[in-house]
Formats: sequence, C-alpha cells, structure tokens
Amino acid sequence: MTNIEIFKESFIKYEGYKDVLEGLKATIIIAVLGLFIGIIIGTIIATVKIIPKKNGITNVLSKIGDFYVWIFRGTPIVVQLLLFYYVFLPLMHVRIPSMIVATCVFGLNSGAYVSEIMRSGIQSVDIGQLEGSRALGLPFTKSMIKVIIPQAIKNIIPTLGNEFITLLKDTSVVSFIAVMDITKAFQSIAGGNYEYIVPYCVLALFYLTLVSLVTLLVKLAERRLKQSDRK
Amino acid sequence: MIENSIEKTIDFNQPFNNDYLIKISGLYKNFGKVKVLKGVSTQIKKGEKVVILGPSGGGKSTILRCMNLLETPTYGEIWFEGKLLTPVDPYLHKEIIRNAKTYKKLFSEIKSFNPALSDDEADETVIKEIKDKDLLKKYEGKEYKAEMKKLYKEFFQDINLTRQKIGMVFQHFNLFNNLTVLGNMTLAPVQLKLKTKEEAEKKAMELLKKVNLEDKANVYPSTLSGGQKQRIAIVRSLMMEPDVMLFDEPTSALDPEMVGEVLELMKSLANEGMTMVVVTHEMGFAKEVASRVLFIDEGIIKEENNPKEFFSKPKDPRLKEFLSKVL
Repeated sequence: MTNIEIFKESFIKYEGYKDVLEGLKATIIIAVLGLFIGIIIGTIIATVKIIPKKNGITNVLSKIGDFYVWIFRGTPIVVQLLLFYYVFLPLMHVRIPSMIVATCVFGLNSGAYVSEIMRSGIQSVDIGQLEGSRALGLPFTKSMIKVIIPQAIKNIIPTLGNEFITLLKDTSVVSFIAVMDITKAFQSIAGGNYEYIVPYCVLALFYLTLVSLVTLLVKLAERRLKQSDRK
Repeated sequence: MIENSIEKTIDFNQPFNNDYLIKISGLYKNFGKVKVLKGVSTQIKKGEKVVILGPSGGGKSTILRCMNLLETPTYGEIWFEGKLLTPVDPYLHKEIIRNAKTYKKLFSEIKSFNPALSDDEADETVIKEIKDKDLLKKYEGKEYKAEMKKLYKEFFQDINLTRQKIGMVFQHFNLFNNLTVLGNMTLAPVQLKLKTKEEAEKKAMELLKKVNLEDKANVYPSTLSGGQKQRIAIVRSLMMEPDVMLFDEPTSALDPEMVGEVLELMKSLANEGMTMVVVTHEMGFAKEVASRVLFIDEGIIKEENNPKEFFSKPKDPRLKEFLSKVL
C-alpha cells in the first residue's frame, strides 16, 4: 500500500474523517469565539485607558487593565492553558469542559493583544469626532459606541485580521488540555499506523485553506467598510 | 487672583438671576504652565449675537469651548440658564469666603489691630485680601464646606443635559464619518430619546430642505464639499433645538467661494432670533450681524462694545493695531 492509500483507509474506512470534522469544528469555534471575547475585553480596556479625565474608579480600572495585559502578553498561551486547566480550576474545585476552558483562555489571551490594537485604532480617530458627539450632549460611553469605535474598528480591520489568523493557528496547541482540535485529529490518524507524511501535509493544507478564507473575508470586510471613505 | 474688572460686571449677590443664557465669572484656564485665560467675565443674554474677535492665541476659542465645557476651566464658574456647569469657585461667593477659617482668623486679627474699624469695613478688607492673595486652602472648616455644597447641590446640572441646549459648530465640521448625513443628524436626538426615529428623520429632512441639501440625505460626509459639510454641521446642531449656538471659526477651513453660503445660513439663523456666540475673522459678519463685539487678547477681554462704536472708535491700543491690520 502506498502512503496515500494508507491515509485514505484510515481517513474513510476507519472513520478518521469524523475526528477531523469534529476537530475542525473545535478549531473554528475556539478561534472565532476567542476573537469575539478578545474584542469585547480589548475594547473595554482600550476605552478605559483613553478616558481623558480620570477619576478614582477609572484610574483603578486602567491599572487593572495594565496588569492584565502584562500577565497575558508575558506568558505563552500553552502555559496559560495548562495553568487554567490543571492549576486554577482544580484549586477552585470547579470542573469545566476543556473546550470551554480553551475558548476562554484564548479569549483572555487575545483580549490583551486586541486592547493594544484597539487603543491605536481609537487614537487614530480624529479627536473632533468625539468633541462633535459630546457637544451634542451624547455621554462619553454612547459617543464611543456610536461614533468612535465603529471608525476605530474600520481602521484596525487589517490588524485585527492578522490577530485572528495568529489566533487560528495558535489553537493547534489546545490538545495540551485534551481538546480534540484538527491537529489532534490528524495526529491520531498519523499515530494509528505510523504514517506521518500524508496526514501532516493534509493538516498543513487545512490550515492554509482556513487562513486563506480568513484573508479573503478580511479583504471583503475592508472593502465594505471603506464605503464611507469613497469619493 | 480675581481682577477688579470682574466686580464691575458681576453682581455677586445675585448670581442666579435668569435674564442671561450664559454667564461666565472669573474664568481662568491654564494649559500646563501656559495661562490662556486670565480672568474673563461676561454674560450673554437671550437673543444676543456676540462676536468674539482677536489675534490667534489670544484665547478666543478657549472661551467658547469653556462655555460647553469642552475645556474645563481652571478657576471660575460657568452658568447656563441659571444652572451651574462647573464646580463652585469659592472666590466668587462672599458668603462662602465668610465661612472660611482663614476669613475668621484674619477678621479677628484685623479687628484686634484696629478696633475703630467697622464690621463692614473689616469684612471688605479681609475679602479683598483673601481674593488678591489667593489665601483659601483646600480645607477651611465644616461650615465653609457646607456652604459650598449647598450652592453646588442647588444649582449644579450635569453637563450632558446642558449640552443638549448648546449647539456647537466647529472649524473642521466634525461630522461623523461613519454615518450618512441623515444618520449624523438623527443620532443625538434618537439616542437621547428626545425624538423617535421617524420624527427625527422628518425634522432632518425639513432642515435639509431649508439649506437645499435634501438630495444629500443618504450620502456620507466624505463626498461633500466644505461648505456643504459646514451647513450640515449647523443643521445637525439645530436638530437638538438649542437655546444658543456657539460657532468656533466656522468659515476658517473653507475655500473662499464657500464662505458665503455658510455666512448666509448664519445670518438667516440670526434673523430668526437665535442667540449666537461667534468666534470669527469675518469682520463683515461682525459689523452686519453682531449686537456686541468682544476683543480678546492675552487672555482677557480688552474691549467690549456694540459693533458701530467698536469699529469706528476703538479705545484699546492693541485693538487699534489689530483693526488697522485686518480692515
């Protein structure tokens, strides 16, 4: 049997494709939800950081934000996964499915990066936009949500796309806490009959396809959001 | 720290009368170490058209931006329709100063040094000394604090509420780039629940029709010319039905051929009786529309007069120089 035939056999006959599909689902869910959580956390931190006149509460929040970014940018994602799954949660006597833990850790991790991206995005919006909105009587938070953040997101779509691609590829480490992702699925196919060449090449193709799709989506989103710039 | 000139224009015993829209008392503004405003006091009555002139860097825009608190004054108070927008400035209220520990100490000192002095005279001397030498400390006793709080509680109003009644037009238009013209106009009234979406859109279309831009309702601001943007910005403010409109150099960023259309709109607003405060370099507009002209230089009001006297018989030497350059 050739390598390809061996792969075909384990992929179809021994139902390896089921694992792969399940893994693909897990990979996409962790990456998409992770980015979603990350954008929410990142936007809140960035907004708190750029409040012009700080009072006691916002000052403390801003410090907490700094600390959070320091922790999550300063440690590898694998270490964060291991710590949450094997240390913090058992210490608190909480049992959560590893899939959910992975999603949350990826969300928290990307929140740290997105907060910096979002901050530069917000700062790239002309201060006059905020003044215009505040002068009409709209409170700070409403002005941010309705006027500033939509423009900031438009400015950072390419960078955010980058962040998503990184996140998508980084999910390949979730098998450390026993999540069945696409990497894990191909690993078990490869391990089943000691044939590595084809499964790992196909795995790489899967990631390449996913990333290409994301790149395309980002381009489309960029073009759509450029609408308001067009002369 | 309080200039004597303030005393002439502000009646301290009646800070709450209602015949003015905006009252500025003893306004100081520092940007870091740079002192931009050094004691400005003025009142703007309903229906007045006040034009603020002066060389650049003199503090014209800062005064305007303090009126709706886009800049926070360092000292002084801003009042709008009988409501206080800033924290209480103790130096502006004799009854607060009289409750301060420093005042009581100085008062008894002055009385023991000079027993012949009447209470009223002593009171006047001490208050003057405290104001001149900036003697009030952060903590001046319970009664002082209570007096401050009482005033604040009675008259302070949240700035977001006030800003709904103060329209502002900026040099660089500041139309929201992420919204269409219609979206720009309806955002604030709808979000603040002053109007339903349908009401707001109807009103917006009426206003757009008035400025002949109804065909631009659904385009984004980036497709408009400067003059069109500024006219939209003006009607966007009008959506809130403001009691006063502030104009911060509304024509300075426009091509010369577009200045006219914006000034026309401002004139028609003035004719409809809108109270206006305008920072501008358009002398023609000041002569034609203003009911009062202020000359601001070096952070103070150097001259204040009706346009006729202001332009024909300037008294201040800096104003004479300024007018000879620009006219």
